[in-house]
Amino acid sequence: MKKNILIFIVFLLIAFVLPFVLSVYGIDLVSEIFIMAIFAMSLGLIMGYAGMVSLGHAGFFGIGAYTVALLGPHIPNSYLLLFFSICLSGLLALVTGAIFIRTSKFYFLMITLAFGQLLFALAWQLKQWTGGADGMKVSAPLNLGFGEIVSPIGIYSVMAAAFIIVYLLLRFFVESPVGKIVKGIMENEARMSALGYDVRIYKLLTYTFSGALAGFAGSLYGFYNLFVSPDVSSWMFSGQVMMMVIIGGVGTLIGPAIGAGLFIFLQNFISTYTERWPIIMGALLVILVLVGKGGIIHWFALLKSKIFYKKRKNSDDYAPQHVEKEEVVN
Amino acid sequence: MSILKVENINKSFKTLQVLQNVSLEVQPGERHVIIGPNGAGKTTLFNCITNVLPIDSGKIFLEGQEISNMPSSKLVHLGMSRTFQKNNLFGNLTVEENLHLALTATKRYRYQMFHALTKHIDLKKETDEILAQWEISTRRNVKVNNLSYGEQRLLEILLAMASKPKILLLDEPTSGMSPAETAQTAEMIQKLPRTVSILIIEHDMDVVFSIADRITVLHHGEVILSGTPEEVRNNEEVREIYFGGGAKAHA
Repeated sequence: MKKNILIFIVFLLIAFVLPFVLSVYGIDLVSEIFIMAIFAMSLGLIMGYAGMVSLGHAGFFGIGAYTVALLGPHIPNSYLLLFFSICLSGLLALVTGAIFIRTSKFYFLMITLAFGQLLFALAWQLKQWTGGADGMKVSAPLNLGFGEIVSPIGIYSVMAAAFIIVYLLLRFFVESPVGKIVKGIMENEARMSALGYDVRIYKLLTYTFSGALAGFAGSLYGFYNLFVSPDVSSWMFSGQVMMMVIIGGVGTLIGPAIGAGLFIFLQNFISTYTERWPIIMGALLVILVLVGKGGIIHWFALLKSKIFYKKRKNSDDYAPQHVEKEEVVN
Repeated sequence: MSILKVENINKSFKTLQVLQNVSLEVQPGERHVIIGPNGAGKTTLFNCITNVLPIDSGKIFLEGQEISNMPSSKLVHLGMSRTFQKNNLFGNLTVEENLHLALTATKRYRYQMFHALTKHIDLKKETDEILAQWEISTRRNVKVNNLSYGEQRLLEILLAMASKPKILLLDEPTSGMSPAETAQTAEMIQKLPRTVSILIIEHDMDVVFSIADRITVLHHGEVILSGTPEEVRNNEEVREIYFGGGAKAHA
């Protein structure tokens, strides 16, 4: 526990110092990383803690982004906009989740994929409101009660704060009864049912929470990018986020956030050199997934276990964590 | 009033009739053992009682309340709990975490979303009690996958007991155990309080006769006999099934 608090403080320090050492472009990039990290953590929650692998999570992100874009001109209050985004995506997750969680594994993947594409098609087709494939401008200035936030540092601070809040929420969630129970369900659904749990309720609660967080990330993206297009709810985007989760490490909270950071950084770094960045990116991802089984977060764990090997050797409960995580990915 | 009453239930898998008009009754506090050769339908009977498999016809009552079509998760809250023939645990979690999951199932706070589970003092207390009572406190933080087979079988029963059931269904608690472990398990079952009735499937005849108040013999999906251990021991038909006609004794 103490170690966690220490890591948290170190992270806060880094987040605080970063704006002073980075260029404007760098600050902007890290802001985006924070948003994607929130999104990736929301998907990481259902993938790594509930065993639900969704290919339609960008749908909720899109709901959040379009809520800000569509309601922004009518509702000047940023808090209200964020609130609406969260409620809408959460509600949608609740309703659709009630149907989706009846399926599992591939069927769950397929039905969420279809759901994401449905929202994508809606954004594409409803031209008179969304501007169709051209996308739409977001005219909703971010104002959290102390003036309009337009400077990169201002945006950065908001996104960093949002990231920390979401991380803490998730941390509380996975330690809570529902969080523990849904993890138990992932591990052994039949036994949880035999123990007296109505497993669907727990899956649905988790899915709804995750959907709401994805919507929150989407609305932040709307404020950040000031432009949204149907791409934000496409299955490609869902796939990218899934990559972030897998690269970072399924089954941990911070893993997907790290994956998001690396993904966005690489994407921007490589694309400055060549337009064909997706090819290099793709190859890199293949290597990362092949070599880094269990994700980057487990490289740290592995490194640590090497360093502290002697101390840990006699501990009965220690086993390399990535073994169990692999199953989750599959 | 009987705690569990099974009335004429039938179950078939396609054309294979697995249970035929099976009826039995368990009285409060009773240790009721179901015996029968392999394929007699014992586990299927358990799965039907706990509604893991839907029955074709018949009725099941728990303390007079019909439970024939109730989801298995709800039965726990009515006081019926079961174990499995094959260990059905949370292998990647520790003993303590397994117990936490089992204990939380009947807690009010099982729907809490942002308050740490381990901060509930009653949960810690009850876990400590169970660990101390069954003398496994030292195994508290051991991953279940790293437990010995016998310890896992024990934990299997402890998880089912966590909800403080009125009736406990044990599906071959001693399967795959060494003779020493089997004796230990029989002893453990005898130690369980009489406030809980037990319906138990068992192959080991020593165990059967050491714990049974009543025995039901199942053969080809039919109840051959339901009676006291003495009656069963002296019944010709049961002897025939177990020892005669070329059928191999299973014990």
